[in-house]
Parts: sequence; C-alpha cells; structure tokens
Amino acid sequence: LICSCQRRACQVSLGDLFDRAVKLSHYIHSLSSEMFNEFDERYAQGRGFITKAINSCHTSSLTTPEDKEQAQQIHHEDLLNLVMGVLNSWNDPLLHLVSEVQTIKEAPDTILWKAVEIEEQNKRLLEGMEKIVGRLHPGGLGNELYSRWSGLPSLQLPDEDSRLFAFYNLLHCLRRDSHKIDNYLKLLKCRLIHDSNC
Amino acid sequence: MKRKLSPSIGFILLLFLNTGVSGQSPPGKPKIVRCHSPEKEMLACWWKPGSDGGLLTSYTLLYSKEGEGQTYECPDYTSAGPSSCYFNKKHINSWTTYIITVKAINEMGSSISEPHYVEAASIGKPEKKKSNKVVMLNFISFSPGQPPGKPELIKCRSPEKETFSCWWKPVSDGGLPTNYTLFYNNEGEESFYECPDYTTAGPNSCYFDKKHTSLWTIYNITIKATNEMGSNISEPHYVDVTYIVQPNPPVNLSLALNKHTDGKLYLLMNWSSPPLADVRSGWLTLEYELRLKPEEGEEWETIFVGQRTKYKVFSLIPGEKYIAQVRCKSDHGEWSKWSSESYIHLPKEFRLKDMMVWVFVAVLSSVICLIMIWMMGLKGINMVACILPPVPGPKIKGLDAHLLEAGKNEELLSALGCQGFPPTSDCEDLLVEFLEIDDSEDQQLMPNHEKGHPNKNLKSGNKETDSDSGRGSCDSPSLLLEKCKESRIPPAEFQTPDFSETQVKAAGKSSQETQNRDPELKLPDFNSDGVKSSTWPGTQLASSQIPKGSYHNIVEVCKVAFSAMNVNVSAIRMGNEEKHPSKYSKNIETICEGEMTQRRKGESFHSKAKADQALQWLLPNEKSPFLSDKPMDYVEIHKVNQNGALAVLPKQKENSDKTEIYPIPGTTKEYAKVTRVVDNNVLVLMPESRVQGMPVFQEPPKESAQSLHQSQAEKNMSYCLTAPSEFRLQTGGLEYMDPNSFMCSFK
Repeated sequence: LICSCQRRACQVSLGDLFDRAVKLSHYIHSLSSEMFNEFDERYAQGRGFITKAINSCHTSSLTTPEDKEQAQQIHHEDLLNLVMGVLNSWNDPLLHLVSEVQTIKEAPDTILWKAVEIEEQNKRLLEGMEKIVGRLHPGGLGNELYSRWSGLPSLQLPDEDSRLFAFYNLLHCLRRDSHKIDNYLKLLKCRLIHDSNC
Repeated sequence: MKRKLSPSIGFILLLFLNTGVSGQSPPGKPKIVRCHSPEKEMLACWWKPGSDGGLLTSYTLLYSKEGEGQTYECPDYTSAGPSSCYFNKKHINSWTTYIITVKAINEMGSSISEPHYVEAASIGKPEKKKSNKVVMLNFISFSPGQPPGKPELIKCRSPEKETFSCWWKPVSDGGLPTNYTLFYNNEGEESFYECPDYTTAGPNSCYFDKKHTSLWTIYNITIKATNEMGSNISEPHYVDVTYIVQPNPPVNLSLALNKHTDGKLYLLMNWSSPPLADVRSGWLTLEYELRLKPEEGEEWETIFVGQRTKYKVFSLIPGEKYIAQVRCKSDHGEWSKWSSESYIHLPKEFRLKDMMVWVFVAVLSSVICLIMIWMMGLKGINMVACILPPVPGPKIKGLDAHLLEAGKNEELLSALGCQGFPPTSDCEDLLVEFLEIDDSEDQQLMPNHEKGHPNKNLKSGNKETDSDSGRGSCDSPSLLLEKCKESRIPPAEFQTPDFSETQVKAAGKSSQETQNRDPELKLPDFNSDGVKSSTWPGTQLASSQIPKGSYHNIVEVCKVAFSAMNVNVSAIRMGNEEKHPSKYSKNIETICEGEMTQRRKGESFHSKAKADQALQWLLPNEKSPFLSDKPMDYVEIHKVNQNGALAVLPKQKENSDKTEIYPIPGTTKEYAKVTRVVDNNVLVLMPESRVQGMPVFQEPPKESAQSLHQSQAEKNMSYCLTAPSEFRLQTGGLEYMDPNSFMCSFK
C-alpha cells in the first residue's frame, strides 16, 4: 500500500483500503468455497444434507439485498453496516469452527488449515472495514448489526451424522455469507471509488 | 356427375336421418392401444373401441406381415381379455414387422383403425439355419401409451448473476405427446411455483427472469413429465444462483499492430465484456483469458489477463498470421466459451541486423573465393589441369629443339628438306589431301585397324579430291593457296586456343587412330573454334589421327610451350640456344607432333610439299598471338640429308624453294617427335613411342630415308624403339633419326 503523507499522519488512501478489503473478502470466499466442497465430497455424500440446510443460517435474520436492484438501491452506509454486521456475526462461529473441526474423524489437513486461515483473515477484514467506516463515517455507523450464533452445541453432538450435518450447515452458511460480503464490497468499491465505472 | 352425387347425398341424408331418428350410426374408429409381449414367444394386443353407434359392434383384428399381401385374422380373441388379441408362436415367427388393424363392424357399417406396427425383434440366438425349427423371438414393441420416463435436469446457468435458465433432458414418451412442467420452491417458502417461461431459453428449458431470480437462496426445482398414460417427476435439484454463473464470451476482440516507444512492434489486443454483464457497477467482476496461436500452429498460447480488457503481446513472429480468442469468467464462477476467432497478419520485418548478416556473409564468401582464385593462380596451371584434363597436344617428334632455338628458319627448313616458304602448290596438294573429319561421323574417326593399310593407302590416294568434300576447304588450287596463306596468318591463333580444342575434340575421336587414314574420315566440325576445316584441314586431320595418349601430352606440352614460348619461339626462330633444351624440345615436339599428326592424315605426305607443309606447322608461327614478342613460326621439312637430319625451312619464306617432295608410296603418315634441334639447325626427330597401329608399319619400309617422310621414319623408328627416351640414350648426343638404321632393326 502506498502511503501518502498528508499533514502529519501517513494515510492509506481510501481506494487502497477498499482494494485491500476486496482482496481479503475474495480470498476468504475462495477458501470457504473450497472447504465446503471438500467437506461435501468427503462427508456429505448421499446423506441428503442439502435438503435440510434450508433457512438454517444464523445470519438470515439480517435482511440483506438479494439481487442487483436491491443492492444498488440500498444506501452505501446501510450496506456498509450490513457488511460489518455479517462480519461481526462470524467472529464467534469461526473461532469454534477451528477448534471443533479438528475433532472430526480423520479430518484432512486441508480443511483444518483452511479453517484457521479463514478465521484469521476474517479478523483482518474486520479491521480494514472499520478503518474504511472510520474514514467514511467518522462518527460511526450507528446501528450495530449483529447476529448471535448458537450453533456450538450442534457441533459437539455425539451423533456423528448430526454433527456432520452441523458442520455441513456451518460451512454452507459460511460460503454464502462470504460471497455476500465479497459482492457487496465490490459494489461499494465501484460505487464509491470509481463512481460506478469500474 | 349429378347423377352420382345425388345418390351419395341421398345416402348421407339417410344416414343423418337415421342417426337423428334412431341414434344409430356406423361404429367409430377403434384404436389399438398397445401390443405387448407378456412372455417370450407370445404377443398380445389390446384395442380401444370407438363409438359403437348405438348398435352391436363386432371387432375383428387383422394382421399381416410387412411386405406380404396376405392378411390373417386374430387367432385368439379371448386369452388376453376383452378387446384383445393373443398371438402365440404358431402365428408369429419371423423377423418382420407386423401390421395390425382392428375393424369395427355393425349393422350400419364398419370402420378400420389406424394400422399399428409391431416390430418383432429377436433376442435369442438364432439356431442353426439348417434346422427347421423356428427361431423364437422376444417380441418387443414400442407400444404407445406408456407413462413417460423420469425427466432429469441437465444444468442451470446464469449469464450475469441476474437471471438464470434450466434445461432438462426429454424422456422417452413412447410416441405420446409429453408435457413438461417445472416446479420450483424458493428457500424459506412453502409453496411451489411453476416455471414462468418455457420458451426463451429454448426447448425443454425454463427461463427465470430478474423478477424471479434471487441470489443467495436455494431453489428446489423439479420437472414433471406428463402424458396420456401418466406422469413422472424428476429428482429435486437444488440450485443456488450464486454458484452457477457462467458469462457469455467477450465480444469485439480487435487486434492491431502498434509501435512501441523503443521501436519494437507489438500486438495490441482489445475486447469488451459481454453485453449482459454489468461490470461497471461492480455487480459482476470478470477476469479474462487470452489465447493466441499462429495459423499453422498446433498449440495455443494461453495468457491470463485479469480484469483488464486490453493486452500487449510482444513476442510474435513477423510475417505470420495469428488467430486470437478471448474468454472470461465471473470472479467465483465458471469460464465462458471462447469468443469467435480474430485474425491478424503480421508484416514481415526488415531488420537492419539481418541485412548486415547477409552482407557480412557475402563479403566473407567473396573474400574466400578471391583467396582461392589467387592461390590457384599461384599454383596456376596445375589446378586448371586438375580440373580440366589436359588435352595432349600434338607431339611432333623429330624437331630438334636446338635447331629451333637457333632460329634460323632457313637452315631448319633446309634441314627438313623444305622447298620453300610458303608453299604454294605444295600447300594446295597438302590441303587437298587432308582428310576432313566430320563430327557426325565420329565412329568413322575410330581407327579401323582391321582395314588393311594398303586399303587405306589406296583410299588415301583417292582422297585427294574427296578430302575436302563439302568442306570447301581446298577444292581448288587457288582456293587452297588462299587458304594456305590464310592459314598462315592466324595459325597460331587457331593453333593454341583451338589447338587444344581441336586436339581435345579429335582426341576423343582419334583414340587409336594413329596412322589411321581412313579416307572416309572427315574433318571434325570445329566451327565453334572458328577453325573451319577448310582453312585448317591439316590441323584437324592431323589431330584426329593423333593417338589419344600422345595427344594429351602433346596438347599439354603445346599449351605449356605456347604460353611460355614468348622468348622461346623467337629464340627458335632466331636459332638461339635455348636454355632448357629439353623442355624446349619437348615443347617443340609437342607442336611439331601435333602438326605432324595432323600431317599424318591424308596422303599429303606423299609429296614432300606436304611434308613441308606439315613441318610448316611444326614450328611456331611468328604470328602466334601467344608470343608477344615474336610469333611462332612454322618450318617445313625441306629435305632429309643422308644422316637423316631434316632440313627445315621456315615457312614464311616464300621462295620457290620448296622442299623436295619425297614421294611416299601410299604410306601412312608417321609422326616423329622432335627431340631437339642440333646446332646446325638439324631437327632431330624422335619416334612417337605411342604410335600404334601395326598396319602403319605394314607399309613397306622402303621409303627411302631421303623421303624421310617424317611419319614413315618415325614410324619405323618408333616401331623399333619402345620409347623415345631409349632412343635418345642410344643415340646420345645428337639424336638423329636414321631411318635406315631403324628400318633395319625393324626388319
């Protein structure tokens, strides 16, 4: 990142902040997608998990835009707020995912280190977003959206099948939400930095 | 017509009336519902009756084999149930298609169903053909009326993350029209909806427009296939539009050649995102990939470009025609198809570097060539001799180099017994009797050894008038004279350049024809040399007769002699001593031999004049172009003294002193090699060792020594001796040729 020294403090430009944020969000989603696919292949074949994973994400309480029109109509502050809320909502689940996924029988290393990586990157993304919000709205955003996650017990179920479904569901939701965040941030970047002319 | 119509119309009206009154009508068309093979070797068909028209209707099932005319009736109407027909193996027993129809009959009329085709397919292995057993088959028929198979969703795709379409695979419907319905359920909603658009995306598809598309939700999609007989539902298919994005290929791929700042040419590739994709707002993020290859190439070079829509390519081959394509993918989606091909033809590059290389190569090769030529020049003639086999010059044995060196032509000539110089009438005779060698008659040039010498001699005698036939050389005395004079003028000119040529040419022709004076020989056509046989008959004749072996030597020596003869010739003429007598003599020998061989041809040697003339050509002519200082001169053999020395007269001496012509009785010419010239300008002749031809020697050696026909003497001598060198040794000092002595030895 290029630091342009203005006044006293050395500041990274907003554009650079967004670039960084978008890179992180893109990376996180790639990891999540891969992790989900690996898990699905290895543990979820023939179990019909997908049929059960309907409306099962803890962040579904946050009403997020579901298509382009909705996303373009929403104000960027609200969108930013949503992004922050989703990101915050995943702090906790990701932590537990890292610890619990290791208990899965013969969990492959790839899944393990991906979980660790996602958790770490998510934190960085949060930091970056906070900086951006601080730049755009120094006074803060106001509503702190947040969805509490209560899926830990399900990850610790004794029943293997139920446990695996719990993981499946979590990974499925992670994949989806990381895509949402990535999409929203790219939208915001083009809108705010490039004036909708990417 | 009216007549015909009226009854039919009446009938129809009657029918209507009947129907209207009683409700009766002919039966409706029955319909064969299906044919089925419940077991092997059995077939059952069912039909559906049409309306019975209110009357009792009976049904008849008729079947026939395809291709055959005969129709059979159903054998069993009961075993398979009502409105059925049962066939067993007795009735259907071959691989054919059966045509089955059902006929409904009632009091009012009848109607026949549509024909139903049953294909009898065999499953069992055929038995031996010879056996009369019937090969029983399993009847499998495509019977209409079965419920449809299970449909299956192939794929769903969204080109821009705003709409999406799904396609399914049609099922086997057994001929009945099948209806497909797609139902979907949105995640979180209870109700199922039907596909909003079955057409936009093509057959067997469903298109969800923007209104019906939601991201980050799972669609539960099912397809139902329905037909008359029933319906079937596919397995549920779970689709999240988020993960099925596959854009259309990029468009407007343009290729242009540009020049970089440092002068290098590069290819600038430009394209646009697909029209539907919304990249500007950031909703869709596309990444691009290029691929290039030369038109003739096999492998594509693929370049990942990222999110830019242009790219510069530097490493291209000038002069080639390139094909380029581009494709894109959504940030987390699938790659699109490759765009249509774009072409560009690169111009050939003219690089200064390349030119410099070529210039350098050219200079280097020319330098090398020059060096080689210079080296060759240093080594000189040897190289040339290597490349071009040297043609032996005429070897004239018998001329004493010393004598020639002395340069006193008169003495030489007198020694040789020449009458005078230049010869006039002699010339004429000599020329006349020279044989003309015709190129076209090469074969004739070959020595005909079988021919008896006498024959030749006789012929040669007759040749006087024939020798120049056609050549127009010395047909008339005056002409001859002129030609003699002419020949005098550029003899050297002709001699050296043409000498070799003529000798070369004649050599091939005169291989062993030493003294072969085949009268039918004609002068070779030396037109290319500019030497016409007419003007240079002697030369040509002689050369053609020179033995090949000696010929080459002669030529070689002659060449050497002439080239180096500037001083020598003059020395000869002047009678000066030569410093290198041996060489000089050899040179002279060559010349002389050449001349002598020329002289040998024909019978001109009968007369001294001829001999004289022969000798004329022996010595270099003063007008030889090779001699810058003094041209070569020819000498005539004037006479031969008792010692066997030849009196030579310079040719140029135009005196009436013609050498006595010693008649040579029909003998062939003999060539003698001049070994050297004695102080007193006596030519010492050497026999030509290679002189061959027994016939030559068959001639009576009675030719007096005085006649000294050179050839004769030489012949004898050569016959006696094996090599000139030996002869020299024997004679020591002066190497006179005493024909008598030789003759004696011969005898």
